[in-house]
Amino acid sequence: MSWDSFIWFALGALLLWAAGAFFAWKEKKVWVYVCTLAGIAVFFAFILGMWVTLERPPLRTMGETRLWYSFFLPVAGIIVYSRWHYKWILSFSTLLSFVFICVNLFKPGIHSKSLMPALQSPWFAPHVIVYMFSYALLGAATIMAVYMLIRKRASASEINLTDNLVYVGLAFLTFGMLFGALWAKEAWGTYWAWDPKETWAAATWLCYLVYLHLRKAKPGEWESACILLLVSFVCLQICWWGINYLPSAQGLSIHTYNVK
Amino acid sequence: MWVKPWNMKEGFLIGGGLLFTGILLQVAIGPIRWELFAWPVNLMVLILLLTAVGAMFALRRSVYAFEWMMHAGAAVPCLVYAAALTILMGLLPQVSTGGMPWLSQMLRFWPFVLIWTWMMMISGLAALNHLLRWKVKEIPFILNHLGVVVAIVAATLGNADIQSLQMTVFTGKPEWRAVDDAGTLREPGLAIELHKFTLEEYEDGTPKRFASDVTVYTEDGKTVQGTVEVNKPLKVNGWKIYQYGYDVRMGPESAYSVFQLVRDPWILWVYIGIFMMIAGALCLMLFMAPKPVRV
Repeated sequence: MSWDSFIWFALGALLLWAAGAFFAWKEKKVWVYVCTLAGIAVFFAFILGMWVTLERPPLRTMGETRLWYSFFLPVAGIIVYSRWHYKWILSFSTLLSFVFICVNLFKPGIHSKSLMPALQSPWFAPHVIVYMFSYALLGAATIMAVYMLIRKRASASEINLTDNLVYVGLAFLTFGMLFGALWAKEAWGTYWAWDPKETWAAATWLCYLVYLHLRKAKPGEWESACILLLVSFVCLQICWWGINYLPSAQGLSIHTYNVK
Repeated sequence: MWVKPWNMKEGFLIGGGLLFTGILLQVAIGPIRWELFAWPVNLMVLILLLTAVGAMFALRRSVYAFEWMMHAGAAVPCLVYAAALTILMGLLPQVSTGGMPWLSQMLRFWPFVLIWTWMMMISGLAALNHLLRWKVKEIPFILNHLGVVVAIVAATLGNADIQSLQMTVFTGKPEWRAVDDAGTLREPGLAIELHKFTLEEYEDGTPKRFASDVTVYTEDGKTVQGTVEVNKPLKVNGWKIYQYGYDVRMGPESAYSVFQLVRDPWILWVYIGIFMMIAGALCLMLFMAPKPVRV
């Protein structure tokens, strides 16, 4: 499997996801699941193919993490659909996934076989995969927040969905962070070093904790909670890729995706 | 404000007071010197903190502030201050000396440490409150709030007790001396004999594997044979031995291997905290997330 075949798998998956989204509007539930899951399978087949060809999990470069993100968006979408039956959620997840697939098509990462020794660890795959899944869920929560803020009203079920996305997203964010700590201890002898990426991971984690506690302390104030989700998502983006452009992180972070 | 029940406003004010107190401390006695917290000072600080939290819990009925601290309304402002200071830390380059006054050494900045301490007290009080209800359904809450306290308090107070040494070992010449970060010679109580250093490369010349075949001799007469590799440290007598470096000019022909020896007496508590947090996060999504409301 080479990167050149990505466009065909991506196209196949996107068509299936679009069909799933279409059937959601038409209320044909069986076809929603059949198409969306088939699309997920097609996309995952490409990831697996890359994994086998590269002889390492495709998680090292920025482009490779985007690959997982495009994969997890429809996964999160179908989970939300199965529990809340929102007709629009799969259209959203497909559109967002489409954006990330386009970024990967126009700006592919470098995909060589080499994997530096520090990354050769059983923690590598779970650390990055749970983070990507968490980013997908928290991205969906951000979309919900924008949606409610623009309409200036929120129904109980919309707030409930947003809360759920944040709870599960935060749980996976915690897994990602702690798996990283356990790995770092084995690789470098310290579980937490306040590396710039770690600092931003802590800031992001704290922001989502504010959301959780704010929802408990002031359940009626959904607007401030939504604004908080936007701030939190900005932190998350800085943590994920923005950090590469921050002067505070230049040459210091062990988490740079650049390959020299 | 200050009308019962208190909610978030009071918390923002208290947090502001802590920031102000922190700045006064910073001016008066300078940045926190964490190295002073080495054993047994950290044990005494721990006992002090536990006693304080215990006393606050016991007095919760007579002192309203302590009762209020256990509620989410007290947690919000504290988390907001902590997040803001952490974001500031992420924006400003952190250096060991020089840089911006105060903010370039955020971990030694009193307001930062006071806010995090306040957060640990709030979380600890809330955990204690739920713990003493002795109900199974309280377990997720306790795991999350106690887990974070155990992990962070152990990591912070234990930091000064961590020994981290570097040992350069030449092939065939057993070595027992190492240097610490300050360059002082130390004897960790074990000797390492390097049999062979291996460096494998990918086709494109990037390194694939660093490994050192060694025998470790301990002061108490143990002999341990093994391979030290990146991501695979060797554990001997409480020390973890990490592959740290080699002679980069010689590459695979390097005549020596550099090891990092780390000993952290508090690590068990950090791990206990981390595993409580992992279990807590699992509970967060399985039991604590609100039940779906369908359209």
